[in-house]
Amino acid sequence: MRYIAASFQDVLDSRRRRLAYKIYAWDPGTVTISQVASATSNLSPSIPMPMDLTPYASEISWSDKQLSFTMVDPRNLFHPDTGAYRNYLGDGAILRLVEGDEMLSEDDWVTSFTGQIHGQVGWKKARNTGEITARVSVFGRGETQAFKRRKITTREYSVGTDLGIALYDICETFMGLTKAEVRIPFTLGRQFKHKVNQLSQVSPWEAITSLLEVVCYQPYFDGEGKLTYVNKSLQRPPAKLLTDYVSCMELEVPEHSQDGINKVKVVFLDAVLSRVDGPYQKLGDAQVTTGFFSMHETLPCWWSEDHKQRADGTTMQVIKSVNSGILPVGEEGYSQIDEFHGEIEVEISVWVPILATVMALEYVAAAFIPDETTSESFGVQNVTTLPSGGTVHVHSVIIPTAVSEVPGTGLTIPWGRVLQAQAMLGIMLIQMSIGSAQYEVWGTPYDYAYLEKMSIAMEDGLDYWLENEKEIKNDFIGTHDQADTIAVTELVWEKSMTRIRRIVIEDDPSLEVGDIVGIPDGRKILITGLSKKIKRGEVPSLVIDGCKVMTP
Amino acid sequence: MSIRKIIDWAIQDQKSEMKGNIASPFYQYQDTAGSWVWACDVDLGGGEENSVLRSVPVASNNRDVVYAEQGKGVSLSRMGSGKWAITGLSKTLNSTVRMTLVTFEDDVFQISSSRMVGNIFRPLSYGELGTLIAPYGYGVLPYGLQGKFDPDGNLIGIVES
Repeated sequence: MRYIAASFQDVLDSRRRRLAYKIYAWDPGTVTISQVASATSNLSPSIPMPMDLTPYASEISWSDKQLSFTMVDPRNLFHPDTGAYRNYLGDGAILRLVEGDEMLSEDDWVTSFTGQIHGQVGWKKARNTGEITARVSVFGRGETQAFKRRKITTREYSVGTDLGIALYDICETFMGLTKAEVRIPFTLGRQFKHKVNQLSQVSPWEAITSLLEVVCYQPYFDGEGKLTYVNKSLQRPPAKLLTDYVSCMELEVPEHSQDGINKVKVVFLDAVLSRVDGPYQKLGDAQVTTGFFSMHETLPCWWSEDHKQRADGTTMQVIKSVNSGILPVGEEGYSQIDEFHGEIEVEISVWVPILATVMALEYVAAAFIPDETTSESFGVQNVTTLPSGGTVHVHSVIIPTAVSEVPGTGLTIPWGRVLQAQAMLGIMLIQMSIGSAQYEVWGTPYDYAYLEKMSIAMEDGLDYWLENEKEIKNDFIGTHDQADTIAVTELVWEKSMTRIRRIVIEDDPSLEVGDIVGIPDGRKILITGLSKKIKRGEVPSLVIDGCKVMTP
Repeated sequence: MSIRKIIDWAIQDQKSEMKGNIASPFYQYQDTAGSWVWACDVDLGGGEENSVLRSVPVASNNRDVVYAEQGKGVSLSRMGSGKWAITGLSKTLNSTVRMTLVTFEDDVFQISSSRMVGNIFRPLSYGELGTLIAPYGYGVLPYGLQGKFDPDGNLIGIVES
C-alpha cells in the first residue's frame, strides 16, 4: 500500500476531494531517471526543474504500467523536429504523474507514475483544421527492455550470504539503481546454501525474480519508480476494506476461458553434495618381487589410473603371498592412505638378510680352512698284469679290509668343504624364498553428486490427463520445507488467478498492485492491475483488475 | 494466460537436455536397421508413476558410460529425430519428491496430504544383508550390492549389477 500523507487521507475519507494533478517531464540529457526516482521530491534542488506538461495534456489514461495522454500544442513547442522543448518528449524523456487535491500543498500529493518514453511520440498536424495533436505513451520502469534482455554474470557469493545482498548488488551494478530506489528489505532471511554462488547468463530482471522467488515475492516498480515487491502469499489483512457498496460502482466477474495451472513443481538442488556409492569391486592391484635383498617394500595402489576415483571400506586380498616360498620370510600389511589410494607394505624379516650375509661370509671363511690329513688311510694294492701283447697296465684296487699306515697318502673329506656346503645350503634356501607376491585391493567406490530434489503441490483428486503444470527451477532454495512453501503458495496464487474479478471504486491513490481489497460481503480481491481515466474537475473511477483471494 | 507464458512453455518443450538415473544394466539393443548399440533404461524421476525411458542408446563417443552402475545420474540429449541419447554422466541426481495435495473449495484451500515419493539407490549395509534378505542371511549376497529404497527407507528391490 502506497504511503500517503495524513491530510490527503483525511480528504479521501471525507469523499470531498477536488482533483488536482500534474504531469512533469525532464529532459533525459540533463538528468537520469535514477536521479529523479531517488530525489526526495519532484521539485528538489538536487534535480533540474521539470517541465510542467499539465496545461498541454488531455485524455489522460493511467495504469500501473503505462501513462498515455494527448498533447495539445498549438505553438509547436514539443514538435519532435523543431520544437524548443522537444527533448521533454524525446526518446528516454522522464515523466511523472502527481495526484492530489487542490486544497492541499503539493508536498502532500502522491506520485502515482514514473516512466520514460521509448522511441518517439506520434505527432500530427491536420491541414484542413490546423490542429496539432500528439499522442504520448509513457512506460513504467518495469517495461525497460534492457533489464530483461541483457545477460549478466554476477560476482560470486559465499555460503551464508543473505540473498538480499546479491539482490542489491544486481540492482546497483546491472540496473543502475541506487539504494534509495529499492524498497525491498536488505535482508530477505534466506541465505545461499551452496559454497560458491553466482548468477550467470540471466537478465537482471530474471536474476532478481529468482532471488525473490525464494521468499514468494515478485519484483515490480511502484508509482515512484522504485523497485518493490508483491508478496505472493495471500495470507495477510486487506489494505483497504470496503464496508459498504457506496464507493463501489461496479463489481464484475469477467469471462475467463483458459485452463488454470493446477500443479506446481519446484525443483532445486540440494545444497550438500550427496555421496553416491558404487558396487563393491576390485579397485586396484599390485605385485612385487622381494626377498633377502629387500628389507621393506611400499606399494602404492590407486583406485584409478588418473588418481581421481574415491573409495571407502577398502581391504587387501592376497592373491599370492610373499610367504608362499619354503620359508616365511616376511609380513604383508595394507592401509588406506586417503580416499584416492592405499599402500601395501611388505616387510621382510630382519633375520633373512642377516642369515644370507652370515652364510655368505661363512662360505668365504670356510674356503680358508685347511684340509686336515691323517696318517691312517685305506690301503692300496697295485696289481700288475702282463698280457700276451706285451703292453703293461697298472691298476689300483682298493682293498677295504686291508688297512695300512702309509704316510702322506689316502682319502680325505675336508672340513672346509662340509662347512661351505652348509653355508651354500643356507644361501640357496634364502634364495629359494625369493618370490613374487600379488595383491588386490577391494572396496566401495563413490563420488559426490548434487541431488536434484523436488516439491510438487497439486490439486487433490486430479486425474493424470488433467494436469496443467508449471515448473519452477530455483537453486537458491535450500530445503524441502522452503520448496513446499513456494509450491503451495504458487499453486494457490495460480488458482486465485483463474478467479479474476474487476471492481470499480472511487479513486484511491493509496492502492497499489499486490494490495488486497476487502469487499462488503467478506470476499477479498487481490489487485493485479489498476487503471483510470483522469479528467479535470472530476474525481476519477479507479478500475481494479484482480482475482479472488483464497484463504486456508 | 499471457503470450510470454505460452512462449516459455514452447521453449521448455524444445529443451534439448535432460537428466535421469540409470534404471537398468546396460544391454545391447538392436535398432530397426539391425545395428547393435549399447543402451539402458533411464528413470527421469519427477515423482511420476511411470517415468522410465526405455532403451536409451549411448552416444557413440561415450562408451565409458556403460561401466556406470544403476542409480548413477546421466545426462540425455535430444537427437534430431526426437529420440534421446545418453551423452555422459551427470553431476546431478534425481532424488526424492515431496508431493503436497491441496483441495480447493470456493475461496478456501486446504492441504489434504503430503508424502515423499521417489527412489534412493544405495549399497545394502551389513545389517540389511543379514536381515532384509530373509531367510538367507549373510553370505548369499555380496557386500556392496545396490538396493533400491523408497524415501522411508523400505527396500523395494535388489538392483542388478
